[in-house]
Amino acid sequence: MSASSLRSFEYLESLPGRDFKRLYQRPSTALAIFRRMLPHLAKTFVMAMLYITDPLTLSELELWVRPDSKRHVLHVIMPAKEYALSLLSRLHILNTSSVPGQGQVLSLTNDFATSLRLSLTGGGHHQSFGVPCDTPDRHKASLESLDAFARSQWEGILHYMVDTAGVGMQDGGEGPSHGVKKLLELGGLVQMKGSYATITQAGFSFLLQEVNAQVWTLLLFYLDSAEALNMDKVDVLHFLFMLGSLELGQDYSLATLTATQIQMLEDLRDFGIVYQRKPSSKRFYPTRLATTLTSDAGALRSVNAGFDNALRSGDGKGFIVIETNYRIYAYTSSPLQIAVLNLFAKLETRFPNMVSGRISRKSIRVAIHMGITSDQIISYLTTHAHPQMRKNVPILPPTVVDQIRLWQIEGERMKPTVGYLFKDFASGQEYEGICKYAEEVGVLVWKNDAKRMFFVTRVEQVKKFLENKAKSAAAGANGG
Amino acid sequence: MATTLDAINRFSVDKFTQKSRGRSRPQDSVSRVFGKNDFSYLALKPDHDNRPLWINPVKGRIYLESFSPLWAHAQDFLTTIAEPQSRPSFLHEYSLTTHSLYAAVSVGLDPNDIITVLDRLSKSPIPEEIRNFIQECTHSYGKVKLVLKHNRYFVESSDPGMLQRLLRDEIVGPLRIEGSEEITKERAPKMGGLVIPGTKNAAGVKQQPGQTPDQRPTRDEDGAAKEDDIFVTLREEDDDDDDADQVHSFEVPTSGVEAVQKRCLDLGFPVLEEYDFRNDEVNANLDIDLKPSAQIRSYQEKSLSKMFGNGRAKSGIIVLPCGAGKTLVGITAACTIKKGVVILCTSSMSVVQWRQQFLQWSNINPNDIAIFTSDHKEKFSRNTGIIVSTYSMVTQTRARSYDAQKMMDFLTSREWGLMILDEVHVVPASIFRKVTHSIATHSKLGLTATLLREDDKITDLNFLIGPKLYEANWMELAEQGHIAKVQCAEVWCPMTSEFYQEYLNETSRKRALLYIMNPRKFQACQYLINFHEKRGDKIIVFSDNVYALERYALKLGKAYIYGGTPQAERMRILENFQHNEQVNTVFLSKIGDTSLDLPEATCLIQISSHYGSRRQEAQRLGRILRAKRRNDEGFNAFFYSLVSKDTNEMYYSSRRQAFLVDQGYAFKVITHLAGIEQQPGLAYDTPAERRELLQEVMLQNETSAEIERIDGDLFGERTGGGGRGVGQKRGVKRTAGMLKDISGGQDMAYIEYNKSKNKELKGKGSQRNPFFKQLDRENEKRRKQALAMLKD
Repeated sequence: MSASSLRSFEYLESLPGRDFKRLYQRPSTALAIFRRMLPHLAKTFVMAMLYITDPLTLSELELWVRPDSKRHVLHVIMPAKEYALSLLSRLHILNTSSVPGQGQVLSLTNDFATSLRLSLTGGGHHQSFGVPCDTPDRHKASLESLDAFARSQWEGILHYMVDTAGVGMQDGGEGPSHGVKKLLELGGLVQMKGSYATITQAGFSFLLQEVNAQVWTLLLFYLDSAEALNMDKVDVLHFLFMLGSLELGQDYSLATLTATQIQMLEDLRDFGIVYQRKPSSKRFYPTRLATTLTSDAGALRSVNAGFDNALRSGDGKGFIVIETNYRIYAYTSSPLQIAVLNLFAKLETRFPNMVSGRISRKSIRVAIHMGITSDQIISYLTTHAHPQMRKNVPILPPTVVDQIRLWQIEGERMKPTVGYLFKDFASGQEYEGICKYAEEVGVLVWKNDAKRMFFVTRVEQVKKFLENKAKSAAAGANGG
Repeated sequence: MATTLDAINRFSVDKFTQKSRGRSRPQDSVSRVFGKNDFSYLALKPDHDNRPLWINPVKGRIYLESFSPLWAHAQDFLTTIAEPQSRPSFLHEYSLTTHSLYAAVSVGLDPNDIITVLDRLSKSPIPEEIRNFIQECTHSYGKVKLVLKHNRYFVESSDPGMLQRLLRDEIVGPLRIEGSEEITKERAPKMGGLVIPGTKNAAGVKQQPGQTPDQRPTRDEDGAAKEDDIFVTLREEDDDDDDADQVHSFEVPTSGVEAVQKRCLDLGFPVLEEYDFRNDEVNANLDIDLKPSAQIRSYQEKSLSKMFGNGRAKSGIIVLPCGAGKTLVGITAACTIKKGVVILCTSSMSVVQWRQQFLQWSNINPNDIAIFTSDHKEKFSRNTGIIVSTYSMVTQTRARSYDAQKMMDFLTSREWGLMILDEVHVVPASIFRKVTHSIATHSKLGLTATLLREDDKITDLNFLIGPKLYEANWMELAEQGHIAKVQCAEVWCPMTSEFYQEYLNETSRKRALLYIMNPRKFQACQYLINFHEKRGDKIIVFSDNVYALERYALKLGKAYIYGGTPQAERMRILENFQHNEQVNTVFLSKIGDTSLDLPEATCLIQISSHYGSRRQEAQRLGRILRAKRRNDEGFNAFFYSLVSKDTNEMYYSSRRQAFLVDQGYAFKVITHLAGIEQQPGLAYDTPAERRELLQEVMLQNETSAEIERIDGDLFGERTGGGGRGVGQKRGVKRTAGMLKDISGGQDMAYIEYNKSKNKELKGKGSQRNPFFKQLDRENEKRRKQALAMLKD
């Protein structure tokens, strides 16, 4: 399960119970959550209980699970059954109650079960899977044009972010819309410094992610901001989950959409998730970014490859070769990929399907200075390693990995100490006296006798000492 | 020389790219990153996936995919026509240079073939610039050959137009020998019946009954003689097909050779020298052949086939890693030419080694191979033979001893078939010029492991000796087990705070001394020595700095050799290192960098080095590449470079590694040696000891920080009056103190704690003076008598 779906969990789990009740009223949402969010064991439980009318006892359910089966969740190992059950109840899919004589009994929540059954068997008038237009489109969008649109919109966003890294590349286009820029800022992916946006460390992790994870990350920010704009988030979620169940290449009618959802279309168009020929159009097309939103992990991989194929001209597999002599060769012609590489490598030569360059202490230090971590670079290189590199164990040359880490550590040896610098003493005697006092009270960190400067952690005592000295000097002067 | 370089500089790839600039090309958002180096406009061939290389049209750099099925083929081709730049695991880089193309033409490649093959291998059609560059370079190179056959010099070319042009030239024209009125034409030379001994081919010939190797040359001569008869006068209407297989030539007198060479160079047609040794009837044949047991390896064969490609001997340089059998290549070349041979090496130590190798691998009569060094001045007994000498012996200009002068006269008075120049990279070009002028040889073979000079004088070698004929791939040889696999590591030793404080304050060269003598480095060295001695490794520790060398060796109780160690003591220490199980570590100064053959060594530790010298790093690595145990299962040799953290050393270290890293070696950085704290008996473990060391280091003056000067070792042994002795400055040590300090007036006594291991080794088997022996015997006798008397 990718990091993005875990994050969308967290978001969903934070919703109050009545929102869930509304969410589950739409079959498309129930199906999407079932497909995308649940681990295999939880799916099995749900499917087993879906058509059982009576509640199931916990002891019966335990018979289905091997007691020693474990599951890794973010590096924590949990028993698979407990994990699945707790997740189901957190998502308000499962009710637990105790019945005397039977111990704990489990049942699916009514709304969820009804909607899921509807979505599986069809029927009803919910129209939550979208309504295709009944009139043919005179300007029908082809699959290629949809992919091209999605690609240019999404890459436009990524390009904008890369550009903010100060690489100083001029994009031909005008960049993403103002709304998208605002969203990136709200999400903390870029930071406004004056009128310029600069990319943050979170922004770099974002750039180095898979496309699907990126889309989810951005949509979650969108959800957050939707509330602020008085949009109904359940409506928003409904729409997103519906998009995931639409068919690529089919045009859908706006007729069944709520006002909130029609308002959303504009933003989703900016992301490249839906396509409309013109804003006033009465129909919309989901792009590949939309239709892969709620595919489950397994399907996602192949779809993702297909999408990468469409989105990038590479073959969707890895494309980076890194050698023990720190030279880097990337089989790509995508300006975006090249721009990302350029963040941490010194690129030298570009061929139609390959760029060559090298990573050096300098290039890595520049990247680290921008907030990229060595681990991010290493993980990016690993996930995009060329198939030839994958024959090696480990994939990346260990010396290179070590060196990248060392280059980062190298810069982390400074330990900042907050404090005060004293300088410009009138006489050596004055300097020595105060310096000696500072040392005695234990606040002195550093001194340089030749330059008559010293540095202390706390200033109060020294200040008092100085005042007393001034007073006594004044007193002495008066007395004399 | 200057004119040559001008001629070369006229042809750089850049020149050919001028025209193409200004062409409008598609730009996108990242084009700016690459600037001029954006070649995304190049068209890809439809089946580019199956082709392994890209060519940079501006710089002539070639990128080769090593995982392509065509790789082996492409690599062979590229090493011939281009300069290997980096050869790690996946993508190799080569550059096309004027010199590399010159070399390609000289081994007989046709420019059109070069372009065709490149085009076949390239992912996109060959850029116009590169095509022009290749044609322009090869147009001027290798067109004209100077061939010595039947001891007459011929100017030869496959292009009659070129010869016509030369004949019309006001300098070359008159030099043509009268009588050979016309340009003559003959069949182009072929590899023919020439067999390089030691190859599989040779083994086959030997097995054929009734065909002894001795008969082969005569057969060849007959064949060649027949060809000579078919001299045909050149007609203008010769068609091109004929030209491909024919060469045209005219004769020039021996006295005019230099003038012709010079003139051709000025005209921009450097002359290639070839030696038709099979038709050389004037110089006596040398009775030499490889022993049947000697088998040369495939890459050695490949390198030699470049040299003897068309049945004649070409001059050039062969680059093989240390330990990959350069000597055997030289010996095989000598066995192929079978004429008088001069071998020049860098030190008298390697002179001895060369002679031994000759006796080991070939059936040469020991009387036919002589040594010419300051200690030995021999001649061979018969009319031809082999002379082994050093560069300094041959080139020294000062007055020679009578013997040496006679030897030199002997060397310069004869014609030699082959001159082998060992370790060509270390010797300045001026020496080569002297050598090649004073000794008349028909062909020259340069041998080296690292064709690198930090001063970029390497290009001179191309003209003084010849083009680079072959360069081996280190990683490939290691894979095939010809040289040892090496684990390289750079050990970072933090400076102790006291040392770093001083380091920051020092501005002079003394800094170097501080980072070399860093106690943490010392401890790391001690730890590594202990660790590897326990594993059963034989260890060499290198230090350029003699002061540090001595300090380390004395403190650790190990033997050491530096420029000042007498020859006999050196030999004794090295013998002990090789055969004595008690002596597993030896400290060497710079003198051990080259030509020291120690197959026992399996581990190498470097504590100080010559700034950023890539060559030294490669040479030192070479000391363990020939490890005897290299073919054991899972065997690894170890190469450690100890570096003091946060000092200049770090910077030098990364520069030094550049060459090896490009060959595919990976340096692992070790920031902490596991278990070094638990190591008992670590030196300088207490702050007091460290302060003491620091004081001592601070008292050293700057000359101690300098790197040993051993030019004497390159150009003459200490015993010989070679190039050494240009008033070498000895550092004078000045310390403040009282006279009584020195005389022991402050309760100080001199006790030697750091005993030299060298002396111990010496002690073994040393002989007492006969006088004392007699004294001992008499004392013994007297005691016995006294005892006997007591008993009575």
